Amino acid sequence: MIDGIRAYFKRKGFHEVEVPLLLPTPSTEPFLEVFKTELKDDQGERWDGFLPSSPEFALKKLLSAGSGSVFTITKSFRNGEGRSSRHNPEFTILEWYHTPGDYWSVAEDFQGLMLDILYRVSPCKVQGKTLGYQGKEYSLKAPWERISVAEAFAKYAGVDTETMLDEEKLKEVGKSKGYQVTDKTTWEEIWNQIMANEIEPKLGQKGPTIIYDYPAVVKTMAGEPVGQAALARKAKDPRFAERWEVFMGGIELGNCFSELTDWREQEARCKVDLLERKRLGKTEYPMDTDFIDALKLGMPPTGGIAVGVDRLVALFADTPTIAETLFFPVEEMFG
Amino acid sequence: MSSIKANQLKGGMFILYKDAPHEVIKCEFYFPGKGSAFARTRLKNVKTGNVYEYTYKSSESVETVEVETLELQYLYADGDTYYFMNPRTYDQFEVKEWVFDGKQKYLLPEMKMFFNQYEGEIIGVRFPPKVSLRVTEAQDAVAGNTVNAAKKPVMTETGVEVFVPLFVKANETIIVDTATNEYVSRG
Repeated sequence: MIDGIRAYFKRKGFHEVEVPLLLPTPSTEPFLEVFKTELKDDQGERWDGFLPSSPEFALKKLLSAGSGSVFTITKSFRNGEGRSSRHNPEFTILEWYHTPGDYWSVAEDFQGLMLDILYRVSPCKVQGKTLGYQGKEYSLKAPWERISVAEAFAKYAGVDTETMLDEEKLKEVGKSKGYQVTDKTTWEEIWNQIMANEIEPKLGQKGPTIIYDYPAVVKTMAGEPVGQAALARKAKDPRFAERWEVFMGGIELGNCFSELTDWREQEARCKVDLLERKRLGKTEYPMDTDFIDALKLGMPPTGGIAVGVDRLVALFADTPTIAETLFFPVEEMFG
Repeated sequence: MSSIKANQLKGGMFILYKDAPHEVIKCEFYFPGKGSAFARTRLKNVKTGNVYEYTYKSSESVETVEVETLELQYLYADGDTYYFMNPRTYDQFEVKEWVFDGKQKYLLPEMKMFFNQYEGEIIGVRFPPKVSLRVTEAQDAVAGNTVNAAKKPVMTETGVEVFVPLFVKANETIIVDTATNEYVSRG
């Protein structure tokens, strides 16, 4: 499969690059915990070191330096998470950046990639372009179904756009739907809970579904915008960000943005993210100023995506958990 | 009744969901990376056996249900109702078929196992992971030119068909894994 992914991107003119696994400053996602270690020299000098939670910042530095479209298949790490059939603390991630391009260029790439993998792993099925997973058949035929987040909230949850974007109104709706809402409940929690309970199960029933244009501003308790769309460019309607996720058979396969290229805005969002990390009690570290400096050189318009390779393997191997696709799953090594 | 945080949920717990007692069949924590954490659960209504999927915010509180555990002995079945007895008090209990989740096919008279009781009703079972069953019918098989360890189907006393190694004969006792219906060893 990995060979297939490589061959596909090389054929499409992407450069394969390697990214470091030991970093002085990882990326700033407020909700992800990192692995911290230490770099020492022979004189006893010490530096904090971190394992990356994604290769994103490194790849964007290369894009800003003029690399053109790039992809990497690398390891990333997430700490402090509960055990799940869809996550391993160490995982293989595929990221690619299509430039010049936006989130829809990446959708074209992904559609082609999935059919290409299907052709490699089960050529007999290519005629019908279907993939069997856990007893159901899914069509990978392009174009995949597309639905905007606003449409999905209206269609599957009966929540209109004004309500969806308004903290108080959404909490009221959440309460009437029977979700637990307290003084501490945030807009983001209720929004995600409606998404997880009422919308995600409806997506990707017959084939992959792309759900696009996420609310641009996710407010934290402190009222600061944060997270979700912190790395994405705003859509024509500035209340939304150009971001999509793709679901199939209840599994999220990828998270894609039209990348934010404005360094001032990126710097501001990173600062907010780091403050939010502090509030959430996550490991603290400084901002990656090299990343901001790189953006100052001018990053071209780019669409980018992260895809969990272990999940793709589970999908094509028709296994319910990713642990079954790993030789050394964390549960077996650490108990 | 007490409450816990959703991030403490675990498979096998009994909780209140929409005011009805449910068993947590599966619970997985979900960290979207772009938001706060959630617990994805599969819940079984312990009165109807219906299964639901529900995602909790990991910070929310969930009411747990006090259930009693008792060991009962199997007597007989009548349709889809199974009768068990408390060997100490001789009280009889009715158990609905859905409680066994398909494992009723391994029930043998006098078999003992632990049940969960809530408001006088049996709502869950800890079925033995392995049972020993007598083989009632087995063909003598010839290994032939197989490369892999050859297996053959045999019939057991409860009517369950199990694939076993060729050396197993009728009237022998075998140990079977009740989760996978696989042969473990000779009994």
